[in-house]
Amino acid sequence: MKLSRRAMIKDGMLVVSAGMVMPAIFSRGVASAKALSQEGAHFSQAASDHTLIVIQLAGGNDGLNTVVPYTDALYNKMRPTLAIPENKVLTLDSRLGFHPNLAPLKKIWDEGHLAVVEGVGYPNQSLSHFQAMDIWQTLDLNGNGSQGWLGKLVSGMVDKDGHPFKSLDIGVQTAPALTSINAQVPTLINVPSYRIAPDPLDRDGGNVRLSALMKLYNSYPHTAPYAALLDTTALNAQDGSTQLHAADTAYQAAVTYPTGAFGDGLKVLAESIVAGLGLRVGYVTLGGFDTHANEQTVHDQLMQTLADGVSAFYNDLVQHGKADNVVIMTWSEFGRRVEENGSQGTDHGTAAPMFVLGNPVNKGIFGEPPSLSNLDNAGNMKYTTDFRSVYATVLDRWMGAASKDVLGGSFGSQNFLPQS
Amino acid sequence: MNKDMYNQPTEPWYDDDITDKRVRGAGGASAPPGGGAQRNMSRRKLFGVAAAGVAGAAVLTAGGMAFTSEMQHGTWNPLASSATNVQIGHLLRRAGFGATPQEISSYASLGFSGVVDRLLNYQQVPDDAMESRLKALNLDLNKPQNQQQWWLLRMAWTQRPLLEKMTLFWHGVLTSSYHKVGGKNAYGRMITQNNFLRAHAFDTFDNIMLGITADPAMLVYLDLTRSRKTAPNENYAREMMELFTLGLGHYTQQDVYQGAAALTGWHVVGQTTQSHYLPFDHNDLTKTFLGHTGNLDYKDVINILVNHPATPWFICRKLFTFFTYENPSNEELTPLVDTYVKSGHNMGAVMRTLLLSPQFSSTKAYRSRLKSPTEFVAGAYRALNVQGNGKALPVMTTLMGQTLFDPPNVAGWPGDKVSALWLNSGTWMTRLNYIDLLLSNRNPRNPTYALIDLQGIVNANHIDTPEHFVDYFASFLLDGQISTDRHAQLVAYFNQQESGMVVQRITLTNGKSYPINRVRGTLYLLMATPEYQLN
Repeated sequence: MKLSRRAMIKDGMLVVSAGMVMPAIFSRGVASAKALSQEGAHFSQAASDHTLIVIQLAGGNDGLNTVVPYTDALYNKMRPTLAIPENKVLTLDSRLGFHPNLAPLKKIWDEGHLAVVEGVGYPNQSLSHFQAMDIWQTLDLNGNGSQGWLGKLVSGMVDKDGHPFKSLDIGVQTAPALTSINAQVPTLINVPSYRIAPDPLDRDGGNVRLSALMKLYNSYPHTAPYAALLDTTALNAQDGSTQLHAADTAYQAAVTYPTGAFGDGLKVLAESIVAGLGLRVGYVTLGGFDTHANEQTVHDQLMQTLADGVSAFYNDLVQHGKADNVVIMTWSEFGRRVEENGSQGTDHGTAAPMFVLGNPVNKGIFGEPPSLSNLDNAGNMKYTTDFRSVYATVLDRWMGAASKDVLGGSFGSQNFLPQS
Repeated sequence: MNKDMYNQPTEPWYDDDITDKRVRGAGGASAPPGGGAQRNMSRRKLFGVAAAGVAGAAVLTAGGMAFTSEMQHGTWNPLASSATNVQIGHLLRRAGFGATPQEISSYASLGFSGVVDRLLNYQQVPDDAMESRLKALNLDLNKPQNQQQWWLLRMAWTQRPLLEKMTLFWHGVLTSSYHKVGGKNAYGRMITQNNFLRAHAFDTFDNIMLGITADPAMLVYLDLTRSRKTAPNENYAREMMELFTLGLGHYTQQDVYQGAAALTGWHVVGQTTQSHYLPFDHNDLTKTFLGHTGNLDYKDVINILVNHPATPWFICRKLFTFFTYENPSNEELTPLVDTYVKSGHNMGAVMRTLLLSPQFSSTKAYRSRLKSPTEFVAGAYRALNVQGNGKALPVMTTLMGQTLFDPPNVAGWPGDKVSALWLNSGTWMTRLNYIDLLLSNRNPRNPTYALIDLQGIVNANHIDTPEHFVDYFASFLLDGQISTDRHAQLVAYFNQQESGMVVQRITLTNGKSYPINRVRGTLYLLMATPEYQLN
């Protein structure tokens, strides 16, 4: 017995994702599939195999020590121990340079495939990690959003085949950015663990037990607690694990990925792209950026991890002939305070740069440089570029979606991607 | 006073005069200016009067309990357990980690409020057997994997289940991660923190906040140890307001700065599991924090916070969400908030109100949360009385989305707030695979090895039919609450023909034998059901 998502939708069920942050949605349980597909049509796009990979730098990455304004006297003055000296930065132009451990990204820049967007943020930042993360992911500037912007995008991609891998989240918990009311997001940390292990004595490889299990899920009453969530999770897992393991025998990494969870995760994303699983949005998180003390050691390591991982991923795609189909974007919930604190660290800040890279990307520095002399009351930079203008650019010019529908408004665009 | 329960690294110092009276006051939120006696103070001395709060969880009025036996879904198996057992089963899952059939019947004889008493007055329940079993494992508690194993086994083996559950609650709120407690040589600080949270789980919120502020792991995790008189670090000040006491919207960036200055003075001692307060490193300037002005210090900050009107709502909402159901109304929280105020912020008293509330025993609460990874892993281990050393448990909770002593960030686990976040395709498969691991022998060198002796269970309980087998396990794993239709599906699997000859068999007491993979497959299915994923 095979139950696809298609069957669920036909049955009139709203497929509910695991990641909703508003539990009330679950008590609703069911909704009209028709309404759903109508909504989806709004931001459905021309058939496309374009993929977006989103990398979250969790904890608040120090933007000033990532893309360094090395000629700004105020930068050096306000960071007596943390400023990266001019002779160490990897120069991009007469004003900015990369952290020295970003050499692998500098190479992609030199090849013409990396963009920096400066001064990205939004008004009235509270300096709370969690409100900031909610805002970046759900777009509600009060931090009360419930649906992720990527989830909304993916939910608009209702396809006939119910691909389980339209989106894929690396981790043990689905990112709020990917949550939606109708799209299940496969969430995993590696391929081997993404399977249902059979009883070693089951000579049929566990098929009879698995169908008995799926029947128990299918017959779980729709009005019972978490019915839609449990049902669709089981279906998504069963479909997805089979496909992913088939892909695993076909894929061989063309590069050596750095060891660690971040590299492992990027490798799974590359695999799903190379094996043609229909991935449109991939998501992976690198954490540890909340550098209130001893920043240099921690941040140096994180920059290395980021650059090595992204570079391996990009080169793997190049060698598999897939690099023209993939755009990678990084974000963090905020940058850090301009002035360093007394613990050789930096406190919560506001505006920060984002990276966008990939073969389709126009090299350059976009947005507006935030001023280090005109700070807010907390000593933080005033943002110059609305984060939603970056999202809009990626949606309109790369994903072929109508950004107005996904973002709920018009927020301008940046020219790091060509007009389509 | 039971000395035994305080036999911990954070043993309180029995010296009343050290803890400033201001901190203990249950009155309004007016903190007098600081300037109390200043001297070097060890962490132990901080807990002058902690003990009284713990032992004195006074009996409050018992709320009504009304579990209707008609649960959410339709027809019920006529062999279902009694309504009382459903109530007790629910209580032991929420206020503990589930129970064996023997435990359930022993608890049930106390009646619901009797069980609540026993859970809260845990000092009267010896737990020596667990301590000796743990000791026999010779775990190195400076290693994160061993720490996780140690705690998960405590949850599986303890006779004080609510104490462990409450410790888990606090670990998700007043949290730290071994990744940032001072490096490999300082991992033991996580155990020190864990023992503190356990020893003070039902203490006043005042003492809990005092202790966690001076806790060595926390001092490093949120950088208070790096905060200096002349250069306050704002990390702890911000997070203690946003995530431990008030919530966003009740303070300004100025309160963060000023609070940080007031909190200066506490430091860890080298790489040890000790901390100390150094008056010479305390910022003596006048500060204004949440409307209070003076030479404020950490005691003033905590005093102001625990007496702030937003705090009881904040902490009671977290408790209610964790133990009862999500999104409680203000009306539902009011009895807890009242208890917080009237009891002088005694968390044991608040917990008693919570457990005896009609909401706790309501149908709305029943199976209203997804089991957390810890609840799932420790719960199955406990209920099935698994005979093992628990070495595989940490990786299981990790793959399910929860690594103890390593929360994703300072806000703890999102699933504690919205339990649906625990479930996704990857974590769901890990749940199934964990059950499979417990039931299937995966050791080719020892074909008769089993973590669970199914034949022994069948014999001891005179299980004579497949129906009886399903009833037996459903009675304590699902409170007997499974519909007849779904019960029949499990029995059908038990009876299904096996395609080949399976040598290993289980013989029911009617003399009929069944392939072992069908028998344990039936139990696997029961624990893989949607119902069992819920708590």
